[in-house]
Amino acid sequence: MSVTLTLTAIFGLAAAIAGGALPRGSRVGGAVALTWGACASALVGAVSVLHGGHPLALHSSQIIPFTGVTMVLNPLGAVFIIATAVVAVASTLYWIGYASHGLSTRTASAALPLFVTSMLLVPAAGGVSTFLLLWELMALSSLVLVLSEQSRREEARSAAQWYAAMTHSGAAAILFALVLLSAHAGGQTFADIASHAHHLSAPVRAAAFLLAVVGFGSKAGAVPFHVWLPKAHAEAPGPASALMSGAMVNLGIYGIVLVGNELLGGGPVWWWLVVVALGIVSALFGALYAATSSDLKRLLAYSTADNMGLVLIAVGVSGLFAATGHQTTASLAMVAALLLMVNHAVFKGALFLAAGSVQIATGTRDLDQLGGLMRRMPVTGAVFLVGALSVSALPPFNGFVGEWLLFQSLLHGLAATNTAVVIALAIGVAALALTGGLTVAAFVKATGIGFLGRPRSSEAVAAHEVPTTMRLGSVVLGSLCVVLGLVPMVVLPSLERAARSVLRAAPSASVDGWVTLHLTGLRGVLAPVLLFAGLVGTALVVAMLRRASHRPSHAWSALRRTEPWVSGRELQTARMQYTATSFAEPLQRVFDDVIRPSRDLDVSHATESRYYIERVAYRISSDDIIERVFYRPLIRTMRRWGQQARSLQNGSVHRYLAYGLVALVVILVVIA
Amino acid sequence: MSASTYANVLELAAGLVIVCAVVTLWRRSLSAIVKTLAVQGIALGVVALTLGLHQHDDVLITVGCLVICSKGALIPTLLGRVLASEPKSRETSPLVNVPASLVGAGALIFLAYGATAPVVDLVGTTPGRLIPLGFATLLVGFFAMVVRRKAASQIVGLLLVDNGIALVAFLATAGVPLLVELGATLDVLLVIVVLRALAGQLWSRFGVLDLDQLRELHD
Repeated sequence: MSVTLTLTAIFGLAAAIAGGALPRGSRVGGAVALTWGACASALVGAVSVLHGGHPLALHSSQIIPFTGVTMVLNPLGAVFIIATAVVAVASTLYWIGYASHGLSTRTASAALPLFVTSMLLVPAAGGVSTFLLLWELMALSSLVLVLSEQSRREEARSAAQWYAAMTHSGAAAILFALVLLSAHAGGQTFADIASHAHHLSAPVRAAAFLLAVVGFGSKAGAVPFHVWLPKAHAEAPGPASALMSGAMVNLGIYGIVLVGNELLGGGPVWWWLVVVALGIVSALFGALYAATSSDLKRLLAYSTADNMGLVLIAVGVSGLFAATGHQTTASLAMVAALLLMVNHAVFKGALFLAAGSVQIATGTRDLDQLGGLMRRMPVTGAVFLVGALSVSALPPFNGFVGEWLLFQSLLHGLAATNTAVVIALAIGVAALALTGGLTVAAFVKATGIGFLGRPRSSEAVAAHEVPTTMRLGSVVLGSLCVVLGLVPMVVLPSLERAARSVLRAAPSASVDGWVTLHLTGLRGVLAPVLLFAGLVGTALVVAMLRRASHRPSHAWSALRRTEPWVSGRELQTARMQYTATSFAEPLQRVFDDVIRPSRDLDVSHATESRYYIERVAYRISSDDIIERVFYRPLIRTMRRWGQQARSLQNGSVHRYLAYGLVALVVILVVIA
Repeated sequence: MSASTYANVLELAAGLVIVCAVVTLWRRSLSAIVKTLAVQGIALGVVALTLGLHQHDDVLITVGCLVICSKGALIPTLLGRVLASEPKSRETSPLVNVPASLVGAGALIFLAYGATAPVVDLVGTTPGRLIPLGFATLLVGFFAMVVRRKAASQIVGLLLVDNGIALVAFLATAGVPLLVELGATLDVLLVIVVLRALAGQLWSRFGVLDLDQLRELHD
C-alpha cells in the first residue's frame, strides 16, 4: 500500500503542473480533478493504515541529496491525512465555482494543489529532511495563496509579510528542535530518533520539546505566536482560508504530538503543564477576540486560535495523565484531542467556505455592512448556521461530542494525586467554561448580525446565492458536521487506534457504543442520537401546543410578525438595528482591561448652533493586544537597527572595497 | 641550474613582485604605475619559468612564457591605451596619502608573514618560504583598490591581487593547471576591455575618470 504515498505525490505534482500550464478554461478543472486523485490515494493509504494497523514505509535515495526521502505513515499521521483530505476535497470543489471570482491565475492554480499535496504528505514524512522539505513547501505555497488577492486588497501584502515572518521563525525553531534531536540520536529518520530518545540527557530533551512547542505552536496559532493567523486567514481567498484554518493549523498539533509523544516518548509533568497553559491562554484569548471582532473572517480566524487552544489543552492533559501513570484517562484525553481536531477541521472549513461565499456575494467581510443574508443566500446561511452551532459545541452537532470528551477527561482527572496537575485541570475546566460562553457570544453575533435582521448596506441587499459548486463544497462539510455529531462512532474507533499507538498503550477501547457512548473504565454516558430525537420531539410538542391554543382571541390577534433580529420593531431604517460592534460592546466593556481598545468619539456640530449636534461618529478598534505589546516594539527595534545598518551603505565603491579588506585583515589577524 | 642559483633567482623574482606592488602605491603617475605593473608581470613569469626549469615541468614553462607575454606585455599595453584617453593623468588625491599608504603596505606585509607562518612551516621548501610575498602582494593590491580614486588605479589594484594569487599558486602547488591560468588571465583581459568601455563613457559624461562620480548609482 505504500504506493499510495507515491501516487499522492505524483497526482499532486501533476495537479500543480496542470494548474500552471493548462489554458484558462480547463486550468482549475484539471487541477481540481488531479488534486482529488492525490486526496483519494492519500485517503486509501491512511484508511489502510488505520484498519490494517501496519505503518506504510517508503524510502528512496533520490530527490534529497545525502539523506534521501523517508516516508512512514503511522496511525497518528493517517488521522491528520484523512482530516486534510476531507477539507481539501470540499475546498477544491468550492474552488471550481470560486475561480470565476478570483484565484484562477496560473500561480494560484499551481500553488493550491501544491499546498494540498504538501499537507497530505507532511504527516507521512518519516525523516527530518523529508519533513522539513514538505513543511517549507506547505508554508511557501500557502504564502503564495495569501498573496493571491494582493492586487485587490492592500492588506493582503502586510498579512503575507506577517505570515512569512512568523512561519519562518516557527520553521527555524522546528529546524533547531529536529536537528538537535537527530544530532544527539545519530540518525535523521524518526525511527532512529525515537529509539535513541531515552538515552538523551534531560536538558536536550527539554530544549527540543520547548523549541518544537514554539515552532509548531506558531503554526497552530497558539497565543502568543498567533499574530499572523487573523491577518493571513482573513486575507487568503475562500478555499485557501478554509484549507489553512481547517487543515494547516492541525499540522501544528501534529508536530507537537510527534515530537512530544512519538519521538521523545512522553516527558515530565512540567512539559505538559506548559502545553496546557499555552492552550488555556490561546482558548481564552481567541474566544475573547472572536467575540469582539466585527470582521467575519477575522472572527473565524480568532476562533481557530480558540479551538486550537482546546486541542492543546487536551494534548497537554493527555501528557499529564501519561506522566502520572493514568493510562485510561490519558488515552481518553488524546482521543478528545484528535476528535476536537477533526471536528474543527470540518466545521471551520464549512464556516470559512460560507464566509468566502458571503465575501463573493457582497464584496465585504465587515459584519456591520451585512445582514439579512439568510433569506438571500439560504444554503450558505444554513451551512454557516450549522457551523456556528457546531463551533459553539451545541448538540446534536459535532463540536459537542469533542468538548464533552474533553470535559470528561478533565473531570475524571481531578482525582489525580499530583497537586500541580489537579490545579491545572481545575483552571482548565474554568477556562473551558468561559471559552464556551465567549464562543457562543461570538457566533450568535456572527449569525445574528450577518445573516438575520435587515441588510445594512446596498451590497447586502443585492446579495444573491453563489454558484452550485461553491454551495456544494460548503454543504459537504456542513452535512459532515451533522453526521459526526449524531454518529461519532464513525471516526472514534480510528481515533482511538491512533491515540493508542501514540501513547503506546494497551489495546482497549475507551469509548464504546454506537447509539450511546460509554466511557470504558470511567463513568460517563452520552447518546447524541437520543438527544437529537429529544430535541426534535420537544420542538414538535411545542409546535403542536402552539397550534392547539391557536384561537382568534385578542391575545393572538395582537401578535405582530417581524423578521428575527430587528429588535421586534418596525424599523424605519436598517441602521436602527444592532450592529456587530454594539452587540459586542457590553462584553468589550467587561474585558476592557484585557483588550484595551482604542475608542474614538467624533461629534460634529451643526453650523448654525453648537447646541445642535449634526453627527456623532463612534469608532472602536480592538487591534490585537499581544501584537501591540510584544510585536510592535520588536518590529520598531528591528527597523531602527535596519536604519542604522543603512548608513553602512552609501554607494561609495571605495567603502565597499574597504569592508572587504577590513574583513580579510580581521580574519587573518584572528587565525594568525 | 644549480641549487643556489635556483634559490637566488626565485627569491629575486618573488621579491621584485612585492617591490613592484609597493612601488605602485608610491608613484602617482599612472603611466609609471603601468610600467611597474609590466615589470611585475615579467617577474611573475620568471618565477614560473624558474620553477618549471627546476622541476623539468613543460607545462609550467609554457605557463611562465604565457604569463610574461600577457601580464608583462599585453595587459600593460591595453591599460596604456585606456590611459591614452586621459593623457598625463595622475592619481592626484588618493584617499590615503602616499607616506601613510606606504606605512599601511608595510603593516600588511607584516600581517601576510604572520598569517602564512603555519603554511610556510608546513611546506618547508624554498618556494614555500616565499609564499608570504604572494600573500602580501594580494593584500597590497586590495589596499590600492581601497585608497585610489581613478578607475585605472582600481584595475591596477585588481591586477596586483591577481598577480598575488598567481604567485601563491606557483609557489605553493608548483603551478596551477594551464587551463586555470588561462582562464584567470582571460578574465583579467575581459575586465580591462570592460574598463576601456567604461572609461570612455565616464570621460564623455563627466570629463574625469574618478570613481567617486559613480556614487549616485546606489539607489
